[in-house]
Amino acid sequence: MVNHMAEHTVTFDTAPQPIHVPTGTLLVEAARLAGVDIHQPCGGQGRCGRCAVVVREGTVRRRSTLRLSGEDVANGYALACQSVVEGNAFITVPPQEAIERRLTTDLTAAAVAVPAGYNPTQAQTVQRVRLSLPPPSMDDQRDDWSRLQTTLRQQAGIELIRASLAQFQQIGRALREGNWRVTAVLDADAWDCPGCPARLIDLQAGHCPEDTPLWGVAVDIGTTTVTLWLVDLLTGQARAQVAEYNRQITRGEDVISRIIYAGKNNGAVELRDLVLETINGLLETACKRVQAQPADVVKATISGNSTMIHLLLKVPAESIRLSPFVTAVNDIPTLTAREVGLNIHPEATIDCLPGVASYVGADITAGVLASGLEDSDGITLFIDVGTNGEIVLGSRDWLVTCACSAGPAFEGSGVVNGMRATKGAIEEVWVNGATFEPTYRVVGGGKPRGLCGSGLIALLAEMSLTGVVDKGGNINTVLPTPRVRLGEHGPEYVVAWADETAHGHDITITRVDVDNLVRAKAAIYAGFTVLAERVGLPLETVERVLVGGSFGKYINVEKAVEIGLLPDKPWDCFHFLGNTSVRGAYLALIDREARARVKAIAARMTYIELSADNTFYEAFTSALFLPHTDLSRFPSVQAVP
Amino acid sequence: MSAEIPKDSWSGTVRTVTLGATPAEGGTRSHVVTVGGQKTLPFMHFEQVAPNRPVVAVEIKDRCPEDWSPLLLEVWGDAAISPAAWAKQAEAAGAHVLVLALSLTGDDGKPTTPQAAVAATKAVLEASGLPLLVFGPGQAEADNELLVAVAEATKGERIALGICEDKNYRTIVAAALANGHCVTARSPMDVNLAKQLNILIHDMGLPLDRILMDPTTGALGYGIEYGYSVMERLRLAALQGDAMTQLPMIVTPGFEAWKTKESKVGRDVPEAWGDWRERAITWETLTAVTLIESGADIVVLRHPESVRRVRQAIDDLMTVPETV
Repeated sequence: MVNHMAEHTVTFDTAPQPIHVPTGTLLVEAARLAGVDIHQPCGGQGRCGRCAVVVREGTVRRRSTLRLSGEDVANGYALACQSVVEGNAFITVPPQEAIERRLTTDLTAAAVAVPAGYNPTQAQTVQRVRLSLPPPSMDDQRDDWSRLQTTLRQQAGIELIRASLAQFQQIGRALREGNWRVTAVLDADAWDCPGCPARLIDLQAGHCPEDTPLWGVAVDIGTTTVTLWLVDLLTGQARAQVAEYNRQITRGEDVISRIIYAGKNNGAVELRDLVLETINGLLETACKRVQAQPADVVKATISGNSTMIHLLLKVPAESIRLSPFVTAVNDIPTLTAREVGLNIHPEATIDCLPGVASYVGADITAGVLASGLEDSDGITLFIDVGTNGEIVLGSRDWLVTCACSAGPAFEGSGVVNGMRATKGAIEEVWVNGATFEPTYRVVGGGKPRGLCGSGLIALLAEMSLTGVVDKGGNINTVLPTPRVRLGEHGPEYVVAWADETAHGHDITITRVDVDNLVRAKAAIYAGFTVLAERVGLPLETVERVLVGGSFGKYINVEKAVEIGLLPDKPWDCFHFLGNTSVRGAYLALIDREARARVKAIAARMTYIELSADNTFYEAFTSALFLPHTDLSRFPSVQAVP
Repeated sequence: MSAEIPKDSWSGTVRTVTLGATPAEGGTRSHVVTVGGQKTLPFMHFEQVAPNRPVVAVEIKDRCPEDWSPLLLEVWGDAAISPAAWAKQAEAAGAHVLVLALSLTGDDGKPTTPQAAVAATKAVLEASGLPLLVFGPGQAEADNELLVAVAEATKGERIALGICEDKNYRTIVAAALANGHCVTARSPMDVNLAKQLNILIHDMGLPLDRILMDPTTGALGYGIEYGYSVMERLRLAALQGDAMTQLPMIVTPGFEAWKTKESKVGRDVPEAWGDWRERAITWETLTAVTLIESGADIVVLRHPESVRRVRQAIDDLMTVPETV
């Protein structure tokens, strides 16, 4: 008989001290209270099995043991997200995969050129003005606020301003400390309130030197990576670029898992805090690099998919996940840092760029802006490859968009030996067609630990070319090589033997992995083909294919075509743009015209819901083949001997 | 006043597949059966008379089946315990070709051995001169083991080995390649999946004129509309010139119809359902004829009366009106 009122002592091997929790507490919750981090890549749904812990002593009740074998359970393994405390217990937590910083996006990022002809004084909405006020006297008893307003009108031509309560509490001190000489920072032209009074962001005593930078940031909140550019608003120059994994990853690897996690006890607060920690951490790093303080940052333009924006603002995201898939808000009015919780100037303007739909967010409208798609003469296809594949097709005259769920396979998740593109990831593979022996290249050199997206694409293409897999993705188990064998998850191919790897285990790709990859590529291919069909355009009429997403920097066109992820077109049609979302945010940050264009792009894009009829499914099953059931779509692949 | 009937002209033609080989061709069959070759939709005689008629196959087993309806066991009687006798009786009932469906286990309850499968196949080949199809028990490992042995022992007979599926086709196709046989390729009621399996099998080097595709179907009232539609779309794709769908189609209405409650259950059913035997035969016949109308080239049946009725229906459908 379980005593439901009882408290139990749970000890985690990695926690400084035991914790007391009532019967029925989930192990992940107990771990959180004990200060132990247990990753939940599937958002705590019990699907991924990666939160497994070992119960050394005591009892827990396993609500689900999916992904655990009978032997695992006998050895004490339990899924932390699915097991509840029913008595005192001693738990061992296996080492958690460290979230490493991506190597390439950070210091080696290409310098960002300020757009040609850029004129900051006209384009920037934030202004800094130095004012000298006439001091009050018995003859001039105007209040401080009226005095400030009059001076602004006379010395800066600004008619009306507004300020927050916190600023009224400080105005008098700043004016007097500076002996009636002050520096004001104002946001003169909020896009959501044309003609409104300028908003006072900051009032500092004294006149600051002319050449002191005025800082703003452009932020892209990716499901996987958060990128931040620190920009001097006076010149438009990006002075620091930093990127780090979104700390929310440990609470779900895809947007659906995170929405589910956000719906749990305290989950929404936890997720918001995790992304705020990530951004605030990046701010510290970027500011340190240019000897600035985060509090000096007076404007932030934020891009990201609709779910990421909702979670940042702690706006309930549940409706994004459920039919008919609507967001709470696509276009959020400007906010202040105080409201959002960013560690920059509390009055700083926070401008979240507008999205189009639940699965076509600000990252795509920003991407369209940055890619120049909205201004192109010829028909252009823009593919943002990620956990969700977002696709935009169009030209100067029209834009249609759709989203398809590709799953996280290309990001190294949902694949047995998958990993993100960090040190130790196999990023390129070649397979010998006679011996079936592979050679590979590893990110950062050294021994491999797993396969990242580009490595998986290359591997699949090479396996297909050499007959290790057939066009249906079946691994050919009768090949004369020990690399093809029957493993725990069915047939598999060994890419690296244990003695070549960093962790001493074989790196393999299994039949199930191949299926996941084929499904991911089929979803993306079906997405753009259906989109093209809906507007009645054959893919042949597409002049340029722009590939975005941090993923877009790594993939090899030839191999992506080989597996049927990208359309079979001449290589010079393809342009890899890298992270277009942060670039779009940057442009909107420095240029009011660009910001207006993002809004216009969001309004112009026609969203097509793929799940509304059968055509997507038909195109999807047709694409579930290497490269495609309709071989005539891939003439260059057929030509390969 | 005369009205002109508009005629469609298609760019594609369904390939022909010939089952069986006569002594002159290296086999022992009394004659061969050829299916396919259509240039238009089924029975559009005014556009083009099909060169080959739909074919009735009768399914027999290597041992008396435990899960078949008593109506079937009753009608086949003692023949059902001997593959040779069953083959003879099926031929007498009007089968154009025979399907020998191997059992997973023998009478002793142990897995069917390759020797037993070969013996049953040879007995059938000796008892009847009809072309033969041999289906494995439907479990990948057993299918591969038994069909390889059967293929080798019947080299040159040009039998059709089944059933290839996307997760298990290599061994069967290799056995067919090495011994001059054909294969049947089953996919789960989807145009793309049917086509994909044909490509995979063809990629191994088996010529397309040795592949029959089985798009899977459902019985009347159990999804036949879906099966019908898939077959119709496959045939339309073939006529439109899609090479990988230009294969004759085989379906198993006998198996599907005899699974239904209407055929299986004779007691405690509404009176309005009528006579059990008549109902079951009608169910099998209607399922088969419907599928023939959607383009089936071979229908695999179980009851001799259904065979008689379906053959009659084929005769009617193939009668070319004089006005054409």
